[in-house]
Amino acid sequence: MKRLAILFTCLSLVGVVSARERGEDKTGRLTGSFETNSIYYVEDNKTAAIVPEDNFGSNNYLKLDYYRGKFSAGVQMEGYLPVLQGYPTNLSKVGLTNYYASWVDDSFSITAGTYYEQFGSGLLFRSYEDRTLGMNSALMGARFTYNYKDILGVKAIWGMPRLGMEFSDTQVRGGDISFAISNLAGWTKTLFAIEGSVLNRYEVISADLKEEGGKPTSTGFSGRVNFEHKGFIVKAEYIDAGERHYPNGGYDGVNDPRIDLIKNGNAQLIEVGYSGHGLGVNVTARRLEYMDMPIVYRNTSTANALNYIPALTAQYSYLLTNLNPYIVQPSTMLGSYCGPGEIGGQVDIYYNVARRTKLGGKRGMKLGLNYSTYYSLVKDRSAKANNLLWQSVNFTLEKQFTRKFKLNFLYSFQEYNDSHGVNNYTWKSNIFVADMLYKWTPTISTRLELQYLYSKHDKKDWMAALAEVNFAPNWSIFASDMYNHGQTKIHYYNAGVSYTKSRTRIQLSYGRNRAGVVCSGGVCRNIPAYTGANLMITTSF
Amino acid sequence: MQKIKTIFLMVVAVVVAFSAQAQLPSVKLENRKGELVNTSSLVDGKTPIIISFWAVTCKPCIRELDAINDAMPDWLDEASFRVVAVSTDDSRFSAQARAWVEGHGWNDFTVLFDKNQEFMRAMNVSYTPQVFVVDKDGKIVYSHTGYTPGAEQELIDKIKSLK
Repeated sequence: MKRLAILFTCLSLVGVVSARERGEDKTGRLTGSFETNSIYYVEDNKTAAIVPEDNFGSNNYLKLDYYRGKFSAGVQMEGYLPVLQGYPTNLSKVGLTNYYASWVDDSFSITAGTYYEQFGSGLLFRSYEDRTLGMNSALMGARFTYNYKDILGVKAIWGMPRLGMEFSDTQVRGGDISFAISNLAGWTKTLFAIEGSVLNRYEVISADLKEEGGKPTSTGFSGRVNFEHKGFIVKAEYIDAGERHYPNGGYDGVNDPRIDLIKNGNAQLIEVGYSGHGLGVNVTARRLEYMDMPIVYRNTSTANALNYIPALTAQYSYLLTNLNPYIVQPSTMLGSYCGPGEIGGQVDIYYNVARRTKLGGKRGMKLGLNYSTYYSLVKDRSAKANNLLWQSVNFTLEKQFTRKFKLNFLYSFQEYNDSHGVNNYTWKSNIFVADMLYKWTPTISTRLELQYLYSKHDKKDWMAALAEVNFAPNWSIFASDMYNHGQTKIHYYNAGVSYTKSRTRIQLSYGRNRAGVVCSGGVCRNIPAYTGANLMITTSF
Repeated sequence: MQKIKTIFLMVVAVVVAFSAQAQLPSVKLENRKGELVNTSSLVDGKTPIIISFWAVTCKPCIRELDAINDAMPDWLDEASFRVVAVSTDDSRFSAQARAWVEGHGWNDFTVLFDKNQEFMRAMNVSYTPQVFVVDKDGKIVYSHTGYTPGAEQELIDKIKSLK
């Protein structure tokens, strides 16, 4: 910590002195952003909505950054007064959570304090912020990066990851190197690069775990290849995540005396794509085995992750398409069930039907198709598929019919395994969405969404509608209702208004929300049912 | 006490912010080919830039970029400018985003991929969509968060006023 303070001070001094020498940028500049998300919760017997003490929750973020030439420094303050329901409960009170000083030169950079970083796709290591999830895994420590022309890039990191309002005692050290062979060889039409990372994680472990053969230090590796030629892209990544520990759900002290399970994590990822002539195609395949990488062992917070393992499926933004989203299985530990992970993939095809063709008409048309499927793994060190975890087919059509009218249509078939692979029973649903935009004048428009979900499983059929009236560029008013007429007969209504001026946006809404999962970037967290008024303000300067 | 500190810091920030005009920060991002591009190299001293932060999962972002794309031929008759569409998608969606750009016919845009949201943080963007107009010298002269159909008109009005 002391070393860090010294580095921090040195960087600050260098920044001030050098800016003065150049005589430019005399005052530097300060930029920042502020966000508040507050909910007033009310009782609701219909949904058994959760109501915290004081009926109130509020998440607040203030971020300030100061730039002066190549020097920058910044802070982030967060206030949970108290934290909103469904967010990690270790977020509490007001605190100065992140602070850094950094020097970014043409070929190198030094950062001291908190920083975010990602190696490759993030499967081995990613520290990041996602406010929708209550996630902030910034490292407190130091980072050094160096690049030689556009040929070689090197990163070295050291730090302690943030969990909740504090930095954990877990220590992370790592390095990443990327080597663009095509740039060295002077190829202009082809990109070919090889990359590699190493990540070392240290955490004090219990005497029991030590006795069982567990080690406090584990080291993971990642090797990657990137290739691009005339619109064709190939990316491949192999990860050996090193030793992983899991609480043994089958422990009974007699037949199974192991308190912890010791496993080896690994993953493989391949992406192949093509884009050109109005066609975009992307195919991804991935296998995961014991890839959970917690910041702190046996901590159950959703933000407790040192890597990034998203569900590789289509992400939906319509109400009824998000009732049962796929939850990625880097391993499946449910009671005594121990599943090593998942295998699967997805295909995305986008096509732009050109203007003035038979199918495209005067204004053209956009088509999209996505298919994804995932299976649990039969056993450790196997790529054999066991039970179906998820399958979906999505078709989208987007067409501007006249100057004033635009239609987006979506059909989605989803098959979901609620047991996460423990058994092979699945729920199937068919979802239809028509999203229509009509412009009355250049600035006044109406948007109407009509949705229907047909299913014989879970809560059976649903319907939903959303209407929005926009007065560009400042005002927007909306109302929506989601109704489960197949079983519960509950209406989930929501209405609100938003005002936007320059970089400030204020939104006030009131509604009933169902218990379920909220996902962002393919990572999900559970939320309880709640009803109430929500005020959101975001601004930046 | 802590709350007072927060408010105090905010006030200071706002005062300072109004006294200085923001400049485009320098961050290295991947382009469509996978090469690294420094954001400060976008400034060419000749034409202004519209910078739009978007994501494949953000419907209003797509609507805004489609509207800009549709209006672009007419706008270019009135003023010269460039459009930079910054995908803030995580590595989960960056491949999808690349295919999306082609399928949406955004061929006139420069598309950059901000996979760990570094540029987004440097520009202090909390949520997408957020759009900026940057003048030929790299000064941020306009910004707007959120999108309502028709709001894109403000962008070309601002660009024309820079002449």
